Amino acid sequence: MPPISPDRWRVLSPYLDEALDLATDQRGDWLAAISSRDAVLAADLRAMLSEHDVVLEQRFMDRAVLDPQSALPTSLAGQVLGAYRLVSLIGQGGSGSVWLAERCDGRFQGRAAVKLLNPSLIGRVGEERFRREGTILAQLRHPRIAHLIDAGISTTGQPYLVLEHVDGQTIDRYCDEGALGIEARIRLFLDVLDAVAHAHANLVVHRDIKPGNVLVSTDGQVKLLDFGIARLVQGDATRDAAAESSAITREIGKGMTPEFAAPEQVSGGPVTTATDVYSLGVLLYVLLSGQHPAGDATDAPETLLRAILLSDPPRVSDAVARSSTGNVEANGSARYGSAAKRVRRMLRGDLDAIVARALKKDPAQRYSSVTAFADDLHRFLRHEPVVAAPATIRHRTAKFVRRHARGVVGIAAVVVLIVALTALYTLRVSTERDRAQREKAKAVKVGELLMTLLTSADPFAPRSTPGELTMRRLLDDGAEQVQRELSGEPELQAEMLTMMGRTYRRLGVYDKAQRLLEQALASGRKVYGVGDARLAQTLQDLGVVLGDRGDYNAAAKYLEEALVMRRRVLGRDNADVAITLSELGRVYQDQGFNDRAEPLHREALLIRRTALGEEHRETAVSQSDLGSVLRLNGDLDAAETILRECLATNLKTRGEDHPNTATTMGDLALIAATRGQYGSAESQMRSALAIQRKSLGARHPAIAMTLNNLAHVLVALGRNSEAASALQEALDIVQPVLGSQHQLVAIYTINRAAVHLAQNEPLAAEPLLREALRVRSQAPAIVPSRRRTFVEDSWSIGATKSLLGAALIALGRYDEAEGVLLEARRDLEALPTASPREIATTIDRLTNLYAVWGKPARGTQTTTSR
Amino acid sequence: MKSMPEIPGDPVDERVVADALFTTLYAELHRLARRELNRRGPLGGLGATTLLHEAYLSMSGTAGTVFVDRARFMGYAARVMRGLIIDDVRRRTAEKRGGLFRITSLDGEIGLNVSGPQALVRIGDALDELAQVDGDLSEIVDLKFFCGFSFAEIAAMRGVSERTIQRNWEKGRLYLHQALASARPGATSVHATHQP
Repeated sequence: MPPISPDRWRVLSPYLDEALDLATDQRGDWLAAISSRDAVLAADLRAMLSEHDVVLEQRFMDRAVLDPQSALPTSLAGQVLGAYRLVSLIGQGGSGSVWLAERCDGRFQGRAAVKLLNPSLIGRVGEERFRREGTILAQLRHPRIAHLIDAGISTTGQPYLVLEHVDGQTIDRYCDEGALGIEARIRLFLDVLDAVAHAHANLVVHRDIKPGNVLVSTDGQVKLLDFGIARLVQGDATRDAAAESSAITREIGKGMTPEFAAPEQVSGGPVTTATDVYSLGVLLYVLLSGQHPAGDATDAPETLLRAILLSDPPRVSDAVARSSTGNVEANGSARYGSAAKRVRRMLRGDLDAIVARALKKDPAQRYSSVTAFADDLHRFLRHEPVVAAPATIRHRTAKFVRRHARGVVGIAAVVVLIVALTALYTLRVSTERDRAQREKAKAVKVGELLMTLLTSADPFAPRSTPGELTMRRLLDDGAEQVQRELSGEPELQAEMLTMMGRTYRRLGVYDKAQRLLEQALASGRKVYGVGDARLAQTLQDLGVVLGDRGDYNAAAKYLEEALVMRRRVLGRDNADVAITLSELGRVYQDQGFNDRAEPLHREALLIRRTALGEEHRETAVSQSDLGSVLRLNGDLDAAETILRECLATNLKTRGEDHPNTATTMGDLALIAATRGQYGSAESQMRSALAIQRKSLGARHPAIAMTLNNLAHVLVALGRNSEAASALQEALDIVQPVLGSQHQLVAIYTINRAAVHLAQNEPLAAEPLLREALRVRSQAPAIVPSRRRTFVEDSWSIGATKSLLGAALIALGRYDEAEGVLLEARRDLEALPTASPREIATTIDRLTNLYAVWGKPARGTQTTTSR
Repeated sequence: MKSMPEIPGDPVDERVVADALFTTLYAELHRLARRELNRRGPLGGLGATTLLHEAYLSMSGTAGTVFVDRARFMGYAARVMRGLIIDDVRRRTAEKRGGLFRITSLDGEIGLNVSGPQALVRIGDALDELAQVDGDLSEIVDLKFFCGFSFAEIAAMRGVSERTIQRNWEKGRLYLHQALASARPGATSVHATHQP
């Protein structure tokens, strides 16, 4: 065959495309058809195709000139990325490889897992996804999620993520090798739910939950790994749905079976938090029974896919029966010892229902959230009736949908929030077929709305606190819609606004929180009358926000109303009553009424101990409350005892990276400092700070409080300049959040000024003190977060004036100083709880004034003779 | 590496910067390959894909350089890489010593009766021809054969399906096979000459 001319090639080329897509045995007919039209063309094509057969036979150019496999993975061992040296390859997949690495900068010792992006994916798509994994992980701070340590790009341009290295085994093997019983397995699984719930609360869907990604470390801690394909909830529904199902097709192509994939992942439907609920359901099924819900269908991809999409799995209790009889006897007895029969009885009924609910084909029929899933398992463990029990679902959801049917469609954007934040996803659940159809249309609408919401806020834009911006945007848009479109649905509106108000408060946006909650209350009062649990919730949330904002009288009023209402509706021993008791007790403390607060905290603790158990996270909250009352009342030993219990419970139930753990550490530090053990106080406060920064972001008011207390300790240690910068940081945090009129801002300002004075900078101190005095005189009795301060600190008007007097003395303005100090003394002596220490300090200052001034003392006579 | 011109979107500019781009890329790839050679020796050397990525990163990291399209960069760089490899092969044949790269096809046959350096040089020439006829195909051959990218990687790079890449690869190597066969002295028929 002569060399082909370029023109001829261009003619043949499209036909070759066609031919190469045909099966070999179809080519004859195809060529014959062409031959009937154009014999020359057919002959050329025939020659080309037979030459192609030769090409294939000869494996012409099959082997690349430079073999890409030759050296890459091994050559990386020993390479240094950031502070880590790669040691050995742990795993390799399509998107990259994971290496065991050791810290090599000499500062710390430790191992980590380093994840490298496959070099061929560097560039837009791969890097984007890699960056997304980094961004997502950076947002997730949870003791049960293998956390991100560092991320970067090597000098050679290799992007990498440094992750916590988990030394352990997969959860299924851990359970089997330890021959764990049902309850232990459920408890372990609840830890997994906790981790996933945290991800969902940050709008992250994991999408790849399977035993291989859930490890249990050698010390029994569950760790969720691999957010490699995780993404923000419904980022781009259509594109990702297609990508999802094609990814699964590819997996199958590689001979892998997507055993933990949800039906919507297989069929290309939208992936939501419900997708994780499904995969978790499969995981629980496997943990409980040792069987996959699809049974033998997992043997081949086709049968597995059919099972995922179409077959209802056998009840999990039946699966245990299967695995413990017949030829898999060994498996069943390894799993539960000789107790298989008893296990079957335990699973029968409620656990069957729980697992089945998580495994519903229709995402809308599964648990509305991971938290709802967890709640039902907790109910099971406490032998309470579970929500998944069939009659109950139908009843509840039907009722809810009936209640809200009209409002539902208009509030799509709000539903988005609910997906992420609460358990109200039951909106989409329905029992009737036609309603299910409408619900489906609604789900699409929700997806679209979420998409626009999410794409309008760039989730990768740099921000001070990870996760904050997206959430804020979502909330703002949702709140607007609720206010605008739900005015005709006061009941639903109240519920939504309450939920959103609470979320704003958690984000530290107090003014907006208050506004929404007040609206919620107005709507709620219209429809609920005087005795309703939902109204009580709104009252409580509003009370708490008002407390945060320093309006204690109003706060106490709402909380007292909430308490009465909850006691009446829920009964005195209900765990929710304890929450209100606790909040009200705190407000009393902030008002300075320790005596009123103590019985409330004791009652709350008792309720929680009884209802929730000794080692429950909420029990720990009450221990913390009571500890602070005891400390402020001067009973340091009792306070320390209960705070130590509290710390132990927090560490156990929340882990060491939780803000509550930090708070308790901070409280213990206050006790140490009160005892004069400043060194120990400082180190505890610094640990607390580190945890707070990690778990709350850098700019949360709670951090300012710890910094303020740390400054107190630093002054006691004589390290004034460190104290000054701690206080300045505290001020920089609270001023933008709370506004300059907030008492906490005034208090930190007073402290800042006091340090200026100690540093002999009266000029800087004076204007601060005058401004603080102005703010303090608006609400002199109020000291926010009183329960987290030192007992001797009062920040009263008198004490502040006394400080101002000292500044004026230092400035040589004796005349002014005298007036201010005399006023200060009068104010201090007039206080209901006069502080002898502060009075004495003020008198010292007066004495000092007259000494430097050379003027006879005017006021000291009377005092010294007292 | 100071002033790397960007790959322009406008075809008129392309020819203007092409030489500069080729030279710069060539120098950069050569530098990277030599560095690897010094670091690990030719046997432990890194793959061409890594080399190209490094080149991309080092060049796009240079201040002021923005590549419009990474896929186009890679396609172009693969062409430069081919030049570098073939030059290396030529040089090592002339100087009778080990070159920059560990080249797999020097050890065995490529598939035609021709093997070793000559085959690579001839494939290179044929590829230049193919580039005139269908630039897409020649680029895929550069990426796959000379640089060792997988179909999946090339597909991801260009945002098309793997099947499309695979089909184009088959066409590309068919063209080359055909060109090499017909260029052989006395060759008249593919079948007669090249039965294994």
